[in-house]
Amino acid sequence: MSKSSASASGHALWSKMPKANAELFALTYGSLVTELIRDYDNADEVNSQLDRIGHSIGVRCVDEFLSKAEVSGINIPPCQTMKDTADVVARIGFRMFLGVSAEVANHAPDGSAFSLFLYDNPLSIFVELPTAEEAAAINGGSGGCDLSKIKYSNVYCGVIRGALEQVNLKVTCRFVKDALRGDEVN
Amino acid sequence: EGDGADVGADGGAEAEADTAALPEPDQEELAILSAERAAAKIERLGFDVGYRLCERLAQSKPLGQGLPPPGSAAAVAAGGTVDPAAMQLEAVKFLCKEFWTEVFRKQIDKLQTNHRGVFVLKDHELRWLRRLPPEDETARVAAIKMLAFPCGLIRGALSNLGIAAVVSCDFLADGKNMAACSFNIKIKS
Repeated sequence: MSKSSASASGHALWSKMPKANAELFALTYGSLVTELIRDYDNADEVNSQLDRIGHSIGVRCVDEFLSKAEVSGINIPPCQTMKDTADVVARIGFRMFLGVSAEVANHAPDGSAFSLFLYDNPLSIFVELPTAEEAAAINGGSGGCDLSKIKYSNVYCGVIRGALEQVNLKVTCRFVKDALRGDEVN
Repeated sequence: EGDGADVGADGGAEAEADTAALPEPDQEELAILSAERAAAKIERLGFDVGYRLCERLAQSKPLGQGLPPPGSAAAVAAGGTVDPAAMQLEAVKFLCKEFWTEVFRKQIDKLQTNHRGVFVLKDHELRWLRRLPPEDETARVAAIKMLAFPCGLIRGALSNLGIAAVVSCDFLADGKNMAACSFNIKIKS
């Protein structure tokens, strides 16, 4: 579907969703990540738990997405290629649930991979991640969790993976750049 | 039920035989322990979130008409003549109106107090509990688990306002309306 109509659909669906306080959302997610860090000693374990949580959420998102679209009379034509899927996920899906649009780029030549750019991350509005040196200082060399390796928003990867799984697309998803670690974009 | 009784008896016998070591917890105890731990975790999550959210909200919204915030220069200058009970009431009212509105998009329905540090907050329709199936035992258990988070929210918010308290919750469902609940706040003195 054309880009502008996808954006319009995303915006329309977003306006129909019941909203919650954005700060509450970000703070609750932050507390969740804190508890996970407290439970598990190593960053990889925390990242994989976040991915698992995201997976559960993603599986349910697809049904919600399709049913809301049908109710509002917004037509989402079936995707013919990976490119279409990418557009739908980024422009309508992210817009509908989070209120921010993601941009799609970097399609692999054989159409099997793409990148999503998220400029505004509503989950990390209050968050700072320590750099590697600061994280080592916090641990005091006692072998705790390496905080600088945490992928704070890894839950997004899980959500995308879970959602696409429900439409029979098995994907892997990982963070390439993270704004919390000093890159410009997610 | 027979299995539970057998395991319990064994655990009891071991406890008597070896008083130095702890008896092996049986399945039921483990389940209860882990449920309590989970509830404590959720309450802790709620505490952190409540504390921070209250900090954000109290900056933008006025807290109590003319009452100086605790520990501020104005309070010190007033020579401690501010009645602590009135402060607590203002804080709880702030909680019921502004804080609750931010989180649940409505205010607390009923506030009762004995003016001696005990408050009861009743909400007749909590958003988070609205979709529970009526008159279902597992739903009740799930609801109690979910209510641990708002308990923590209240405790965190009060702590940010300088009040230490103990918060517990009660599920007031009466068959039809599963979303009614109440929170009891006891201020530590």
